[in-house]
This record gives sequence, C-alpha cells and structure tokens, in this order.
Amino acid sequence: MSGIQPPYKILVVDDEPDLQPLVQQRMRRYVRSGQYQFVFAQNGVEALERLREDDEIVIVLSDINMPKMDGLALLDQIPKVNPNIRSVIISAYGDMKNIRTAMNRGAFDFVTKPVDFDDLKLTIDRTLQQLLEWRDALGARDRLVALQNELSVASQMQQSILPKSFPQDPSYEVFASMKPARSVGGDFFDVMRLEGGVLGLAVADVSDKGVPAALFMMSSRTLLKGAAIGLGTPGEVLKEVNDLLCEDNETAMFVTLIYAVYDPSTRKLTFANGGHNTPVVIDSDGNATRLPLTGGVALGLVPGMEYAQSSITLSPGDNVILYTDGVTEAMNENEEEFGMERLESLFSESRPSEARAVNDFIFDAVMEFAGDAAQSDDITCMTLRAGGRDH
Amino acid sequence: MELTSDNTGGAVIVKAVGRVDGANARDFHEGLEASIGADGESMVLDFEGLSYISSAGLRVVLLVAKTLQQKNAKLAVCSLSDSIREVFEISGFDKIVPVYADTGEAVSGLGL
Repeated sequence: MSGIQPPYKILVVDDEPDLQPLVQQRMRRYVRSGQYQFVFAQNGVEALERLREDDEIVIVLSDINMPKMDGLALLDQIPKVNPNIRSVIISAYGDMKNIRTAMNRGAFDFVTKPVDFDDLKLTIDRTLQQLLEWRDALGARDRLVALQNELSVASQMQQSILPKSFPQDPSYEVFASMKPARSVGGDFFDVMRLEGGVLGLAVADVSDKGVPAALFMMSSRTLLKGAAIGLGTPGEVLKEVNDLLCEDNETAMFVTLIYAVYDPSTRKLTFANGGHNTPVVIDSDGNATRLPLTGGVALGLVPGMEYAQSSITLSPGDNVILYTDGVTEAMNENEEEFGMERLESLFSESRPSEARAVNDFIFDAVMEFAGDAAQSDDITCMTLRAGGRDH
Repeated sequence: MELTSDNTGGAVIVKAVGRVDGANARDFHEGLEASIGADGESMVLDFEGLSYISSAGLRVVLLVAKTLQQKNAKLAVCSLSDSIREVFEISGFDKIVPVYADTGEAVSGLGL
C-alpha cells in the first residue's frame, strides 16, 4: 500500500568518523534481519547527492554541526529533493536552540549525543511508522482522486445522454431536467420524436443510487429507446423493456418507469406506468388532477408481465407533470416530505405559463422546501404543455 | 433501523423498526438474511414500526424473497403504514410479495 518495503534505507549524515562504525555495529542485528539498511554521508552536500542518486532512502539521520553544509541547512534542502523523506536530528544534549530550529525546519524528531542506540531504534521505528501511514494516506488520496475523476467522467456521460434541447412545436411544449443527488444517479428522462409527429416521453427511477444504479439506468434507457422506436403502444414498450431487463437480473435491480405517447394533432396522451409515481395534470387555472394508475409493476422484476395503458385527451393549456419520487419525497430539515399535496397545490396561486417555467417553478419549490437539508435522491421533473405557449 | 426476529409460530416473524434507505439497505439485507430459518420456513416482515422504505429497501425485500424461494419458502409483509402501503401499490410490489393486515393473517395466508 505504502509502496515501500523493508529493508528501509536510512541515510546517516555526520562528519565525525566514529559514528559510522558504531551504527553498523550496534544496528547490525536489524541490518542482518533485513529491517534496515544504512548509507552514510560526511556533510549536507554529500547527503543531498546521495538522496538525488538513491530514491529508496526514506529517513535521514543527521548531525547539526558539519562542514560545507550543516544539518539545519540540509533540512531546508531535503524536501526539494523528496518531500516524503523524514528527518531525525542528532544534537548535543540540551542544545534546545538548535533542536527548536531543526523542528521548525521540518525535522520529525531528534536524538541527543551521546547516542543511546535503544532510543535511536525506537525513534527510527516511530518515524517509519508515521512515514508508512503517511504514504498509505497519500496512496489512498491518489486512488480517491482517480476514482473521483472516473465518477466525474461517468457523470458527464450520464448527463450527456439526457436530452438538452426539446422539440420546438407551435402545438405543444416540453421541458425536463434532472438533478442527481450524487455524481452519478439512477433517474433519467427521454423525449423522442416518433413517426407521424408523435412524441414519446419517459421518466424513470432506478432502485438505489450511485454506480450500480447508473449502470442499470444506462441499459434501461437504451432498451427503452429501442422499444419506443420499434414498437407502438406504451403498454407494448413497457412489456418489451421489462422482459429484456428481467434476463439475467441476478442483482434484483429494478426501474420504475412511466412511458407516454402524445399525439399533438389530437392532444391525446396514452401512457403506461411501470410502478412509477402517478403523473399530475395541472390545468390552465392551476387545478391539479392525478392520472389514473395503470397497475403496472416496476420493470426488471417479473418476466412476462402485461402492462395496461390508459389515455386522456388534454385541453389546451394543460400541463402534464412527470416526475420521480425525488420531488415528492424531498425532505426538509424537520424530515417532512414535500409530498403530493404540495405538488398539486403549487399552481393554485401562480398560474402555469410555459413548460420550462412550470418545470423550473416545481424545482425551485422543492429546493426552497428542502432548504439546507442534504439532497438524498435524484430529482427529475418533466412538463408537457398541450396547446403551446399561447394557451 | 432495528430488526428483531421470532420464529416461534412456524414462520420467522421479523419486525423492522425505523427507516430503510440507501444508507442502511445493506444492514437491512444482512439482518434479514441472518434471520432466514431452515429450508421450507417462511418469513413474515412486520412493518408496523417502519416509517419509510426506499427503493433500495424494496430491492432487499425482493432479494430475500428470491433467497426464500430457493429454500422452498415464502415471504409476506404485513402491518404496512399508509405511506408504505402506497409505496408497495405504486411500485407494484404488492403484486409480487403478498401483503397482509397483520402477522396473524400473514401466517394463515402463507398456509402455515
């Protein structure tokens, strides 16, 4: 994990000739057992050369008073060569001034002369332990950053498959948006122009959140698109998508999905509901009615299910609101839910105008209601407005 | 979320209290799996004390139902609050897992 293994290489820096044989003798047990390996330098300049040549050195054990470059100057230079090296200073007993300076310059610890080798061993081990933990943390951070980068690419991919521009037509308007709770989400929507000027509309919510939900969402969305283009009625589309999702679905992931087909020439909306929240129609006076449930089961659970469908004829100025439970189950800080009733009474005072304004108004109301409470679920909302913006 | 299980009546009755959401769905799953009894021993989930269940929790219910099916046993749920009953009805889960008014009905409904 830390990327470094024993023997841990320690650079001893001292101009006095007696320290080297002493270290070799007193530490020979640990050298033989493969725990430590010592290399030596006479002064700071030489020490930096060693560090540049050898990136396996993990600890520098240095005297303070040395010719050419002393230990304090060396401390300043070490991070420029390798910021992950730990330094331990050997100082004269009671030389608090130099010890303080050394610590301020980034020394991890110090030992005093004459060197007590038991104490030195403890100091080296403590330093090593901190170093290993530090490098582990660095490695974990790097992996986290890499993972975050991948998630952010996944998030962009997910957002990029959602329609961003919507059909422009004098006889209807449609607008939708999705706000994921995490970087990747399980909600999606689609707006498809089908043959004969007919519109296919879908809003869906995959069980759970995060990466597994995002993967399931991607395949659900592709299957839906294929079925919607190839088949006719919403009931047939849901049956097809359900059967395909049920194949090899060991993880029991599922998706709730409402799929509707709208014919602007007749203003007839035909829909089938696979276990999804009931859409709401808000008329031009702001009155809300729920579309009837069609009794379908969430998709991906039981193969061979039939999906019933239902139809209504919209009046000019009617707004069909398709949404996920991120809207109705949005919670405020008192753990109260936004709820159906709040959604249905939203337009009792401010009349709905164009589709985008209606959709934004709902989003704003949910955000205002939730306040500072953390968003726990993806929020998706789509508005289809019959009769265009003149009505 | 807290689970307590009791298997004195021929089926394992598991009471779930609190909330099940994405954050504790894994605990919920592990708790239920640990409560699964011998082959052929069905399970009733008593949701009287459950205030909320998310789709991640529903998924767990389904996974447990599948595990039980492999052991020739059944799963039922009972004592749903209005809001949880609504979740079961909207998602269609009430068509996959039988829903009963209370544990007594559930046990007799499972034919025990």
